[in-house]
Amino acid sequence: MASINLEIAEGGLCSAPLAANEPAVSVRNVSKTFRRTNAQQDLVALDGVSFDIKPNSFVSVVGPSGCGKTTLLRMLNGLIRPDSGEVLVDGKVPSPGPHMGFVFQSFRLMPWRTIRANVAFTLEVHGVDAKECNERADYYLNMVGLRRFADSYPAELSGGMKQCAALARALIGQPRFLLMDEPLANLDAQTSEFMQIELMKIWRKHQGVVVMVTHSVDEAILLSDQIVLLNPRPGRVAEILDVSLPHPRWTYDVRAHTDFIAMRAYLWSRIKQMVANDPESEFFGRDEAILAEIARR
Amino acid sequence: MVKQVGAVAGSSGLGSNGGKLHIGIWHAAVFLAFILIWWGLSATAGHGFLPSPRQTFNAAIRMSGDGTLARAVIESLISLVCGFALAVVVAIPAGMAMGGVATVGAVLNPYVDALSSMPRIAFLPLIIVFLGLGYEAKIFMVFLGAVMPILINTYAGVRNCDAELIEMAQSAGAGNADIFRKIILPGALPHIMTGLRVGASLALINTVVAELYTAVSGLGGLLSIYGNSFRMAPYFVVVVILAVIGMILMYAVRLLERSVTRWRIERPW
Ligand SMILES: Nc1ncnc2c1ncn2[C@@H]1O[C@H](COP(=O)(O)OP(=O)(O)OP(=O)(O)O)[C@@H](O)[C@H]1O
Ligand SMILES: [Mg+2]
Repeated sequence: MASINLEIAEGGLCSAPLAANEPAVSVRNVSKTFRRTNAQQDLVALDGVSFDIKPNSFVSVVGPSGCGKTTLLRMLNGLIRPDSGEVLVDGKVPSPGPHMGFVFQSFRLMPWRTIRANVAFTLEVHGVDAKECNERADYYLNMVGLRRFADSYPAELSGGMKQCAALARALIGQPRFLLMDEPLANLDAQTSEFMQIELMKIWRKHQGVVVMVTHSVDEAILLSDQIVLLNPRPGRVAEILDVSLPHPRWTYDVRAHTDFIAMRAYLWSRIKQMVANDPESEFFGRDEAILAEIARR
Repeated sequence: MVKQVGAVAGSSGLGSNGGKLHIGIWHAAVFLAFILIWWGLSATAGHGFLPSPRQTFNAAIRMSGDGTLARAVIESLISLVCGFALAVVVAIPAGMAMGGVATVGAVLNPYVDALSSMPRIAFLPLIIVFLGLGYEAKIFMVFLGAVMPILINTYAGVRNCDAELIEMAQSAGAGNADIFRKIILPGALPHIMTGLRVGASLALINTVVAELYTAVSGLGGLLSIYGNSFRMAPYFVVVVILAVIGMILMYAVRLLERSVTRWRIERPW
């Protein structure tokens, strides 16, 4: 079981004590097939996926719906195991715990607990005493701007606030790996932009590996060092892109940067290609003009 | 600030007070209408078999004066409370075991189904043979009535746990015991409360049934005595008392329910 660092460190993520050239996460030829309840055929969610993640880097996983992004995150956390191939985190088979913060696609807050108690849950189940739990929960609630709602119940919070609470719950274990499944997808455009900057800061300050699934090409480029583009049905790695925009990125207008514009155009062309060639996609075989129209929306 | 926000979970300020007052007026109006209709019916159509509100009230005074009523209420409450408490103590852990351990649930489920659809009165001869006609038999009848709804609802609550929350807990590294205690049980509480409510009303019904069919005692006993001799005014007093006990019982369960599910936002409608 993971040991928990009881001191409130400078912040959320602890830096990984790893040799610089050794990958922090290594995904080797991973496949996963799901048995479906009401269908004859099994569903191949991931097929021969391989990529490495360097220590202290921010990685985005991008790809059309159903290409296995959530499945991949659950494997990195150790919630499920691959059918074949291997996933190594820090050179070991991953196991769930506070060192692996997980922000789910849905908020997953316990409606019967206050926000503070929800955030403290991660520590509570590892035997940290109540006073310590509450202090730490308040610290991280403060970080995500929810201090005033510590005593509220989830039903009293807006969607964006709930997502922030879920983020605080993931950060409270001071994870060295932060896995986020579309953490900003449920937020309105403005809140999500503020949260993007907040995430940049949290990550820059505290280091560690972040793997974020996102539907937004802009968000992926804005935040990451590396983008893993997945193909749908079956999920395969289509391409791995390095983003070399200088850090820290909240200090300048990233969207105006020529590299950003070029990468955005390129990523979109790849995704359009992918969707147009996917026989199960509703846009299969549509011509470029229509897809360009969709991309612009 | 924090306090202000916290208050939303309970009932909030003016609106709901106004609402309560409103409901109070309606309650009074409906009660008055009920008494009026009763009075009207007894005056026109009763033929002496339907006592008027006044006759019933006089009978109530008489019965409380000589202690008949108090004795009967206490006798009934003993069977009711003991039987219901026994049902709670047995049904909740059993339901949890059935929901928590899949094999236990699968093995016991057919028996639960069989027992819950059986009229309790069918067990009466057996109960009398084994437990006699006294309190033991009555308490056991009450227990039989209340145990199934509590068990079934506890079982359902534990089974219908939120898989997403369980996965969340697993991702935080929580063990099975913590997942059961901190995710599954709190999630099952609203179901358990429903079971208690249904169980409480069945407990009261079975109290009366047991008192009618075993050694005559309590409120059920009074019902049979007055009913058989067509003394309708005291008979009605017993009916009213039973209704009041039922209301108090339900109110108590609802208070309990509200205190353990405080986190539920109360809708204004
Ligand atoms: N537990 C499961 N049982 C059966 N099929 C599953 C299971 N989990 C995922 N799948 C299937 O695997 C595929 C990949 O699912 P996954 O949730 O990883 O997609 P995703 O890329 O996260 O999609 P989205 O962007 O819509 O969230 C889907 O087709 C899904 O139906
Ligand atoms: Mg997903």
